[in-house]
Amino acid sequence: MTRAAVQPIEAEALVRCFDEIRAVDGIDIVVDKGEIFGFLGPNGAGKSTAVRVLTTLLKPTSGTARVAGYDVESQADKVREVIGVALQDAAIDPLMTGKELLRLQATLHGIPRRLAARRAKDLLERVGLTEAAPRLVGQYSGGMRRRLDLALALMNEPDVLFLDEPTTGLDPMSRRNLWEEVRRLNREYGTTVFLTTQYLEEADQLANRIAIIDHGKIVREGDPAALKKSVGSPTLRVDVADEQQAIAEQTLQAFGEERPSRVGRVSIGLEGGAERMADVVRALDEAGIVIEHMELDSPSLDDVFADATGRRLEGAADAEEPAE
Amino acid sequence: MSVDDSLETSAEHVHTATPPLLVQTAALSTRAIRGFFRQPQLWIPGIVFPLLLAAVNSSSLSRASLIPGFPPDTSYLQFLVVSVIVQGVMFGAIASGNELTTDIQNGFFERLLSAPVSRPAILFGRIAGGWVFAAFQALLFVGILWPFGGTVRGGIPGVAVLVVMAVFLATAIGGLAAGLGARTGEPEAVQGFFPLVFIFLFMSSAFFPTALMSGWYGTIAENNPLTWMIDGARYQVIVGFDLTEAAKALGISGVLALLGLWFATTQVRRRWRVAA
Repeated sequence: MTRAAVQPIEAEALVRCFDEIRAVDGIDIVVDKGEIFGFLGPNGAGKSTAVRVLTTLLKPTSGTARVAGYDVESQADKVREVIGVALQDAAIDPLMTGKELLRLQATLHGIPRRLAARRAKDLLERVGLTEAAPRLVGQYSGGMRRRLDLALALMNEPDVLFLDEPTTGLDPMSRRNLWEEVRRLNREYGTTVFLTTQYLEEADQLANRIAIIDHGKIVREGDPAALKKSVGSPTLRVDVADEQQAIAEQTLQAFGEERPSRVGRVSIGLEGGAERMADVVRALDEAGIVIEHMELDSPSLDDVFADATGRRLEGAADAEEPAE
Repeated sequence: MSVDDSLETSAEHVHTATPPLLVQTAALSTRAIRGFFRQPQLWIPGIVFPLLLAAVNSSSLSRASLIPGFPPDTSYLQFLVVSVIVQGVMFGAIASGNELTTDIQNGFFERLLSAPVSRPAILFGRIAGGWVFAAFQALLFVGILWPFGGTVRGGIPGVAVLVVMAVFLATAIGGLAAGLGARTGEPEAVQGFFPLVFIFLFMSSAFFPTALMSGWYGTIAENNPLTWMIDGARYQVIVGFDLTEAAKALGISGVLALLGLWFATTQVRRRWRVAA
């Protein structure tokens, strides 16, 4: 099999136990070349454990995993040569400067000095740390550390980049900047990215494909749009005067199944989605109903998560992880 | 990014081979040395305290050199030269070895494990960082004490013995500290072990000749390997360079170094055992 033909990540029936706890419980993953694969789940779902197995930091209890065609157990050294890893909490030596860390990373990867200097310069520019590079990392903000962490992970121009909760604890601005950088390196360099996150928006914004993990098992997998579509039709909410509620309900029945709502509002699952909005408005108008407010909510990844697990993910991450 | 840049990047996208152990160890020890010297709170005590103790002892115990049984024609400060080096190295090596614990705590250890770094290089890089400081300490102490009467009669070969002994001792103590750090992951645990090392030192000929000790204390001191090492090194200072005595100093410190390395290796291996 040629290097070009191998899947960046393949895992089959992967299990990792800690004593009695099955942190990763028989997951199958296939990530395609050039894909941003989002691994979404709440704290303790098994995301980081899976990443640690794929990055050779933990041995699997059973099952197999290959990264860039190399087995994570028997060819761990090869795996380490072709991956870039940015783990949770940006593990960076605060007593070194950004420049020194990049140089060290290059040396450890056996990158020739001149090429390393060129790559370091380029990476520092890309992550906007050229000016800060000569300063000790201990003086960097959380966002700057994350960006340096990303640059370090890219120093060896990896085939697969692992980002383990890269924006946890960052302020919204830093979070968006990091997203943009990840998108850019995927777009311009075709880097395959394996991203774990507990943020719905992050997965939605970045990932081409998402696997939702809960209690060590993958409970849903697919591209975000398809996953959301799988939950069902979007919810249409129409606010009307109390005396018109009955007729509004009767009119809207033709467009989808009624969903629970408060007094003065009619909610339905709009079959056919946004394309039928014009028909809805026309029908309500013909029935003489005065629309006070109308909104159409597409299913979110949180709905997908709730559908799969019976719990909500929305807000859980923010409640547990204070922003920087 | 221009097309040219893109092509250049693409042409340069080669997976390089993992560099040899020596190159990685050198890179990691350079990092260790830099980090160590950037924390004055770690290295200043290893220089100031032994010198301070030497100043206090040599003035308060200067007449001890007149006691029968004390090495003849030797000032107390001269007697203390080796003790100052050993004390300083102990201070420095514990702090330096403990930096591995910091790496474990802040996640840098895992960053190294996920890179194509040979596992021994992670440990040796950390311990080798302590070698440079130990050699620096030995030379600094000799340089400071010499004008005040702490002459090394063994000359350059004698000083070389002291420097190599310091490096071996730094390996032993640094290895012990790194091993404890790897086992516990707690810097406090390593600091807690610090007084034990000094008790071991006090129960040796570091501050007084064993000929002048009596009872159980004297027996312990006479059989303390540190005494054999210190006496061998001290011979280079107060008498002159002697190959047999040098071999004794370097042999004992060398064995201690190997023990320290063995302990550190087993403990670090235990920590990364879970990793492939």
